[in-house]
Amino acid sequence: MTWEIVIGLEVHVQLETRSKMFCGCANTFGAPPNTNVCPVCLGLPGALPVPNAQAVKLGTQAALALGSTIHQRSVFARKNYFYPDLPKGYQISQFDQPLATGGAVEVESPERGRITISITRLHLEEDAGKSLHDRVPGKTAVDLNRAGAPLAEIVSGPDMRSPAEARAYLVALKQILMYARVSECSMEKGSLRVDANMSIRRAGESKLGTKTEVKNMNSFANVERALEAEYQRQVGLVDVGKPVQQVTLLFNAATGTVKPMRSKEESHDYRYFPDPDLPPLVLAPAWINEQRVSLPELPEARRQRMMAGYGLSAYHAQELTLEKALADYFETVVKAKAEPARAVGWVLRDVTAGFHEGGGFPVSAERLAELIGLVKDGVVSDQAARRVYAGMASSSESARGIADQLGLVQVGDSDTLGKWVDEVIAASPGEVARYKGGDAKLIGFFVGQVMKKSGGKADPKKVQPVLIERLGD
Amino acid sequence: MSIGKDEVIHIARLAELAVSEQELPKLAEQLGRIVSFVEELNQAPAEETAPAYLAGPATTPLRPDEVNPVPLSRSPAEIAPAFVDGFFVVPRLGAMEEA
Amino acid sequence: MSGEAGKRGSGEAMARETGARLKGAESLNAVLDWSQEILDAEGARVDAMKAPGVLHAVPVALKDNIVTIEQPSTCASRILEGYRSPFNATVVNRLRAAGAIIAAKANMDEFAMGSSTEHSAYGRVKHPLDPTRVPGGSSGGSAALVAAGVVPVALGSETGGSVRQPASFCGVVGVKPSYGRVSRYGLVAFGSSLDCISVFGRTVEDATRVLSVISGHDPLEATSVDQPAITPAPAFAGAQGRPPLQGIKIGLPREYLPADLHPGVRAAMDRSIAALKDLGAELRDVSLPHSRYAVPTYYIVAPAEAAANLARFDGVRYGPRHIEPADGDVRALYRATRGKGFGPEVRRRILVGTYVLSSGYYDAYYGKAQRMRALIADDFTRAFGPGGVDFLFTPTTPTPAFVAGEKSEDPVAMYLADIFVCAVSLAGLPALSIPIGRDQGLPIGGQVIAPYFAEPRMLAVAAALESAVSATAEVRS
Repeated sequence: MTWEIVIGLEVHVQLETRSKMFCGCANTFGAPPNTNVCPVCLGLPGALPVPNAQAVKLGTQAALALGSTIHQRSVFARKNYFYPDLPKGYQISQFDQPLATGGAVEVESPERGRITISITRLHLEEDAGKSLHDRVPGKTAVDLNRAGAPLAEIVSGPDMRSPAEARAYLVALKQILMYARVSECSMEKGSLRVDANMSIRRAGESKLGTKTEVKNMNSFANVERALEAEYQRQVGLVDVGKPVQQVTLLFNAATGTVKPMRSKEESHDYRYFPDPDLPPLVLAPAWINEQRVSLPELPEARRQRMMAGYGLSAYHAQELTLEKALADYFETVVKAKAEPARAVGWVLRDVTAGFHEGGGFPVSAERLAELIGLVKDGVVSDQAARRVYAGMASSSESARGIADQLGLVQVGDSDTLGKWVDEVIAASPGEVARYKGGDAKLIGFFVGQVMKKSGGKADPKKVQPVLIERLGD
Repeated sequence: MSIGKDEVIHIARLAELAVSEQELPKLAEQLGRIVSFVEELNQAPAEETAPAYLAGPATTPLRPDEVNPVPLSRSPAEIAPAFVDGFFVVPRLGAMEEA
Repeated sequence: MSGEAGKRGSGEAMARETGARLKGAESLNAVLDWSQEILDAEGARVDAMKAPGVLHAVPVALKDNIVTIEQPSTCASRILEGYRSPFNATVVNRLRAAGAIIAAKANMDEFAMGSSTEHSAYGRVKHPLDPTRVPGGSSGGSAALVAAGVVPVALGSETGGSVRQPASFCGVVGVKPSYGRVSRYGLVAFGSSLDCISVFGRTVEDATRVLSVISGHDPLEATSVDQPAITPAPAFAGAQGRPPLQGIKIGLPREYLPADLHPGVRAAMDRSIAALKDLGAELRDVSLPHSRYAVPTYYIVAPAEAAANLARFDGVRYGPRHIEPADGDVRALYRATRGKGFGPEVRRRILVGTYVLSSGYYDAYYGKAQRMRALIADDFTRAFGPGGVDFLFTPTTPTPAFVAGEKSEDPVAMYLADIFVCAVSLAGLPALSIPIGRDQGLPIGGQVIAPYFAEPRMLAVAAALESAVSATAEVRS
């Protein structure tokens, strides 16, 4: 039996505002527990919410970046449930009248090529606090610093057909949201969180199976692992004739398994109703249009522009735009007169490696452009340039200065090259004999030996003519 | 409309209210009476419908994104029934626990 | 607000005087918290103010659901026993800035749910004129304190008539402003779309002065309306010998004057209607056909909102906590804390509210009630519309104050005590009750209802009626 997987994702992203969604507390993290709180986010008797204009703006921009339709009128609703880190006993969210509906994300599927994942809706809501189970023995400790932080929840259609597609969607979604500058989108820091819905059905069937919800995944890789594990679990059930129950499961990253939560008998009756503390959110068409016009360039547009403007391959454009910061850096390097074809190699290799190690950009784009210029002009070899680059990271000296200090400026004068060539010929009589006997491929060996002798300083392009000349003697 | 004991138990669980076995019958009877009373609304002529009433302003005001919380004259530690090392403390989650 | 109030340096004297009065009125059980220390501190504070405010040295009692830093704010509930708010309600800050002395926290029906102030966890409030009777509710403590002369003015709160109804029972003035005109920030929420902080006063003028201080836009509340503070309108005075209310059209909604109306209430209304005519007003028969659905509509909307508003009382962050069994989990904490903390009426309403919002019932109850609410409000809009009337005049309550215990076993009978005040709350309109006479010693109130934000003119009409009708004369003698 072949089973088709059907996956839809609910993604929560924290919006990058200065203050919380409904109160004037700072939207920052790392303060001592329960110090970044006020009457509103503590849920004190008598406190009332007032929505944050910037959160509305960022939510709108996020939705526009996803191609969603912004509704001129949306309604905040109360989602009622009890949980220790939910101070009011309800979460202010949006229910039947969300900020935005529709939209799509283009995704490169490992199995199906280019696919479109639909966006069902985007709505605004407030975050809960944190319940910590290991702080006080036998008890649950509650920190409400995060309570009330602004969130956008983005719900996809059930359009993904494999765990890998789910991951690809998340990568694309994160990229768009970062380009739109609405969220930091860090799963490690919790500013992007993913819940997944999954069901299986017989290949070719159109009716959806019973879905389960998978939670507690803290990286894109773990989303993929968790969905794989849940797929195996569901198939395992159905194969022995057991039905899939509608449950919520938690992923355990250590074991790579999913386990159903203990059932919450009433958990699904949230008794939504419009929050009487908050009149409808009404947005003027002109304002919505203003947000649309002022959206930063999005990844797809940038890819196209980079291919057309810099002659980059689709692959390079894709890789460069994955991180907005790297694409920005690349363009600054090019602006500082580096050849795009050379710059792309540097950015995707050395700069990306350093960036992902959390190092940011120790070498400014302008300085890298200077280094690339030295390579182009033959002043340093490509190989030596990487050592120069390493030196530049810890010094403010110019590329040329570091190359001089490290003695990495290429040697091209024929006297010096001739001396090294003569020494290599003298030291390799066997190879010389074979070369002279017709084994022309050995020229590479001689070049390598000369480079070695020069400590990498010899200009390889100039070594070869000298070698051929002297070996021909 | 009558409300059964099971229904009262179900609602009480949703509302997280302890209800004793002894008070159940009276509570069910009173709730049934209240619900029957509010169902007088069903006598309103069917053709009379209106959009839902909205109290107060027609649209929500928006707050500028500034950090200016209403200050607390007492800290959470001073109002909490149980507070340890900066945290509100509750019994373990038990039935609500995640796995 | 005669006497000492208003004079510079009179704060300390007023604090002592008020303390003595509070002590003298202890048998009413109208107060949940007061102390001479706080009174004295308040007196010294207002005396030290650079310029005397509008309410300089005026002692004000606050219903206990208005949070204050100095006193506990319990909402007359065990679940908030001893709770001290870390912030003041907006109205408290405004009263203090105007020089008022925050004198006492007044007893009330628990979480403002009730019409008799019998549903207080700290015992019922007695009617100042007859201790066997109720003062009305839910703001019965505030009403009793004003009626007994302990304070000249007090704040209560209305969700479905909880100031006008006790004002009527106690024979004082009770004014409910338009929804959103007085800040709710710091009023412990009951039915958020209905809640209005409202004012009791011995006279219309006193109540107006307090309203002028506490009303006006509050950026901390999203439902606060962008309207200026209520300022007293010039009194209606007939120019050149014309009667003062000449040209004013007052509607008498027939649904509010049923044939079986209590005879004392009927007599008081007849006398007031005659007085209004003498003042030159034109009286007209009008109809508010959907008002008959007001009480059932209210008893869906208010409990639904209350069930959510009261979810925050879970024993996690504040208030006393119970856990049963003692080693139980967090649900045992919730259920025991809430089960023991809330009294019977609050529990009933939480259950009703949870029921009407629960899966499958929303449209049948809450959705329908919100649509009915629009029809109820439309009736008023029509009555006040082009060619309509300027104000409406009705009895505030169907009967004078009833005997304690009379309705406590029958929640629905209790709900019907609010039959004439509920529709106004659902429509969010301003209204007031003023005493229009007594029947067998018990006060009877008349209700003036006005269009949105017409408080100044409404208060001026009430002042005219106040001067024309004796508040204390027997209406059937």
